[in-house]
Amino acid sequence: MGAKADKVMDVCLRAGELMLTYGAETYRVEETMERMAKAAGFRNVQCFTTTTGVFLSFEEKKGNGDLMQMVRVKDRMQDLNKVAEVNQVSREFTGGGLTVQEVERRLEEIFAQKVEYPIYVIHFGAGIAGGGFSYLFGGGLFDWIPAFAAAVLASITLLEIEKLLKVRFASELAAAFIGSSAGIALVTLGFGNNVNQIIIGSLMPLVPGVPLTNAVRDLLSGDLLAGMSRGVEALLTSLSIASGVALSISIFM
Amino acid sequence: MQLITEILLTILAIVGFGILFSVPRRVLFIGGAIGGWTWFALQMGLEAGVTNVVSTVIASFTAASISHFLAKRLQIPVTTLSIPGILPLVPGSLAYFTMLDFVEGDYLGGLENGVQTMLQAGAIAAGLVLGLAVFSFGVGRGNRYEAGS
Repeated sequence: MGAKADKVMDVCLRAGELMLTYGAETYRVEETMERMAKAAGFRNVQCFTTTTGVFLSFEEKKGNGDLMQMVRVKDRMQDLNKVAEVNQVSREFTGGGLTVQEVERRLEEIFAQKVEYPIYVIHFGAGIAGGGFSYLFGGGLFDWIPAFAAAVLASITLLEIEKLLKVRFASELAAAFIGSSAGIALVTLGFGNNVNQIIIGSLMPLVPGVPLTNAVRDLLSGDLLAGMSRGVEALLTSLSIASGVALSISIFM
Repeated sequence: MQLITEILLTILAIVGFGILFSVPRRVLFIGGAIGGWTWFALQMGLEAGVTNVVSTVIASFTAASISHFLAKRLQIPVTTLSIPGILPLVPGSLAYFTMLDFVEGDYLGGLENGVQTMLQAGAIAAGLVLGLAVFSFGVGRGNRYEAGS
C-alpha cells in the first residue's frame, strides 16, 4: 500500500465514521466515501455501510490487489450540524478545492468541536418542544408551563444517565419515568389540568426522530440491512419510553 | 385565531426540537417554518373532511417536497430540514393512549389506538416516499430486466 493510498483510505473512512456516528443516512455515507475516493484518483471503489460499521475498498493501481479496510462504529449520537459540515468538506474535496491533508485537518476539527448549542440551551429547547406539543395534542394554554418543566427535567435526566451508563435504552426509560412522574406531581400540586397532555408533552423530546426518519430513507434507497437495524433501534427506544411511562403511571396514578 | 396560535406554537416547538437534534443555525428557523406549514396542511386537510391518515400523507408529502427543494438550493443534507418538517405529524398522543389502554387492561381499546398509531406512522413514511420519488425523477437505474445507463 502506497503512502497516498493509505492516507486517502484513512481520510475517507474517517469521514464515513463521523457521518455515521452523528446520524447521517446510509446512502449519504456511502456516496460521500465513494466520491472522495474517486476524486483522489482511485478506481473500482466499493463501499458498504451498515448501522454499526463502514467498509471501503478500492484499487490502488492496475495489477495489484485491491485495498480494503473497515471501521467499527460503536456510538450513535445525533448532531446534524456535524453531518452537514462533513458533507461540506467532502463537497469541497471532490470539487478539487482541498488537499488530502487539509481534509484530514478539517475532519479532526469537526470531530473535536463542541455541539452547536450549549447544553443548557438544549434543555431549554426540550422544554419548549414539550410545552408546544402538549398544547398541540389538546392540552390547555396553561398546561404549557408544567409540560415545559417536566420536559426539561426529562431532558436533564436523559443526558445525566447517558453519562453514567453504557446501556442505551436504560436512559430513555429513566427519563420517561422522571418526566411523567414530574408531570403527575405538578398536576397533583395544582399546576395544570390535563395530566395526559402534560405527560405526552414531556415525552416528546425523547422521541427518536433521527433514527426513525433515517430508517425509512435507508429502506427506500435499498440499504435494507441498515434500514432494518435502525428501525429496530427506533422501535426499542419507543418501547423503553413506553415502559418508563407505564411504570410511572401504574405507581402514581 | 386558534389556528394561528397553534401554528406559532408549532414553529416554536419545532425550533426547540431542532436545537435537540443540533440542526445547523442557518437552517434552524427554516425547519421551524416547514414544521408550521406541516401543521397548517394537516389542519386544512382535517377541516376539508379528509380522514386523518390521508391528511397526514398530504402534509408529510408537502413537507418532504419543500425540504428536498430547499436542501438542494442551500446545499445541506436533507435530513436537517425533513426531520423538523415531519415532526408535527408524529402520533405521540395516539401512542401514549395505546400504552395507557394496555396498562389499564383495556386491550381492545389499546389495539384500536395501536392500529391507528401504526397507520399514522405509515402515512408519514408514505408521504416521505412520495416526496423522495418526485425529487429523484429521471435518475432511475433501469427496469428489472435491463440495467440503466
